[in-house]
Amino acid sequence: MKLQNPNSQTTLVTGLLELVAANAAQVRDEIRAALPSTTVCLDLDLSAMTFLDSSGLGTLISLHKTLRSRNGTVRLIKPAPNVQQILELTRLHRVFEIVNG
Amino acid sequence: MEASCHFAATRAAILDLRAWLAEGGLPEADLAAWELALVEAANNAVKYADAAARQLPVLIELSVGERDVEARITDHTAAFDWPAEVNLPDADSESGRGLFLIKSLTDHAAYERHPGRNVLMLRRARTLPGREVSPDVNQLQNRLADAESALTDMTAELSSSYESLVALFRYSSELGAHADLKDFSQRLLKDLVLIAEADYAVLRLISPDGNKLETLLVLPAAGNAWLDSVDLADALVSVEAAAARNCEDVWFGPEEPLGKNDPLRAVMPAGIGICHAFFVAKQPVGTATLGRQQADKPFTAAQVNLLHTFVDFLAIQIVNARLLDERTVARVTRRELEIAADIQRSLLPSSIPACPPFEVAATCRSALQVGGDFYDIISAGDGALLLVIADVMGKGVPAALFAAVLRSTLRSMPQLFNQPGELLATANRILFPDLSRVDMFITAQVAYLDPRRQKIVTANAGHCPLLVFEPGALDAMALRESGFPLGIEPLSRYAQSETMLPSGGTALLYTDGLSETRNAADELLGEGQLRRMLAETAAQTCDADAGKQILLGRLADYCNHQPVNDDQTFILIRHIA
Repeated sequence: MKLQNPNSQTTLVTGLLELVAANAAQVRDEIRAALPSTTVCLDLDLSAMTFLDSSGLGTLISLHKTLRSRNGTVRLIKPAPNVQQILELTRLHRVFEIVNG
Repeated sequence: MEASCHFAATRAAILDLRAWLAEGGLPEADLAAWELALVEAANNAVKYADAAARQLPVLIELSVGERDVEARITDHTAAFDWPAEVNLPDADSESGRGLFLIKSLTDHAAYERHPGRNVLMLRRARTLPGREVSPDVNQLQNRLADAESALTDMTAELSSSYESLVALFRYSSELGAHADLKDFSQRLLKDLVLIAEADYAVLRLISPDGNKLETLLVLPAAGNAWLDSVDLADALVSVEAAAARNCEDVWFGPEEPLGKNDPLRAVMPAGIGICHAFFVAKQPVGTATLGRQQADKPFTAAQVNLLHTFVDFLAIQIVNARLLDERTVARVTRRELEIAADIQRSLLPSSIPACPPFEVAATCRSALQVGGDFYDIISAGDGALLLVIADVMGKGVPAALFAAVLRSTLRSMPQLFNQPGELLATANRILFPDLSRVDMFITAQVAYLDPRRQKIVTANAGHCPLLVFEPGALDAMALRESGFPLGIEPLSRYAQSETMLPSGGTALLYTDGLSETRNAADELLGEGQLRRMLAETAAQTCDADAGKQILLGRLADYCNHQPVNDDQTFILIRHIA
């Protein structure tokens, strides 16, 4: 996992491969810790993600709430079809801004 | 399969199970569903395990049946109540979606509590190969093929429509610059041949008399085959005549060959073709025929559409060009008639010399600027007057010019004023060459009004007779003696008549516009009724001017005050008592 700050307001997280019970809390805490206080747009690149379970969804929601408290947003970038399916199954595609292509 | 009771271990075990299921031939959708369902089940088994339970493995058993897959997950937690209904938590909730996912991804879920262990039973129907596919794959494939070919056709038609649209726009803009219809038609037809992949084209227009099809263009011009016009009546011989007469496209080819004597054979000896007759406002305008050498390659619907589109557009342009011509001619004619009317007015005497005991009144009313009539009243010495009334056959500027020439010619011969017959004969000799060259002639009547002898001496060149009404008479009489109009014979002679105009008498010189006044029922007034009108007018007044007004009023009554369609010119002579 890698965090970049293309500008003072945006943080891009890449290299997320799986977000499951085994790593969900850790990923959440690492991102939170590394998140600059000026970031209001958190872009999570999900293009490499192969699997996501309900704990992973919890991480996404946790980050979403963090950003919302700053009047910011979390954007999910290019989720793979199976990840997109899980988001839709749990209706969370309505919560996140999903950027395809 | 057993896995140690922590997340990473169960996750790894489930990946192995997924691979095993994949080997068993389960489709990707089933694999993804089982992966997530098992992960969620194992997560719970780990999450709710206490320290003692953590020492025990999580057992995951799978059995793959023909119709479905079953899973049994054994945990050693304190267990929980499997809710009857599983709903999604609030969107903000960070947990609570595991059971929902399990329920959503499986067809059946049951949680059994046993002493020291609990078993979650899951079942999900297999997605069988072909289950999602329509049983009649062939039918579907056929429909797909149909749709594809329809799409191809539509694309072809769209692109040809596009080409024709672009071409038509180009033509429209060109049309402003080049008014040459033939040149324009040629370029349009050339493009049509190219786009519709034809080899020949023939464009014919209906002749002005509406009886024939005349050739405008033959393509390719290099063929040098020119086509004589076709009688529209020859519908049995010529497909073009048939198309124009029956208002329909006519196809021809090996199965329906051109007639033996069809003129089109000269241009299209073999192959196939289509003849399209085009119309504007239901009036046939012409025919366009496209031909193709290859008889086995019929014109497509799109190409026939092209023919229709191009040619119907051309038809409108042809008709527009014709209308433009007609309007230009009409405009020129109207202007010409205005000029003619100006000339005519300028020829009329501005005042009428007194000639006691005679009184003279005259009028020249032009109908719709048509000017062939004129009159003249000239002092002839010794108190006499020369009265001239004439009608130049023809209209417009030429007629007005000849009226002017006649007026000058007569005025240049004052020595002959008292000899009207000789005056007309001389004028005829002078004017004959010019009049005959343009096939025009003039009817004229000349009257020498002699107050001393109280006589009218007249000569008539094919004009309306002099009408004379004597007081006490029942009817006016007409002096019919007349010679040829001026311009017919080079050496015409004109007899001279002398008529007494007694006190109270009235005489009328007029042009035929007067006797040919029509009423609402389209009946001519005629000389008889005009004579009666004159008699009534004479009885009503003894004043020439008042008489003129009364006569004009009666004429207007007769034609119900509608505009007259010919000039009304007359000179009224009154012998004041």
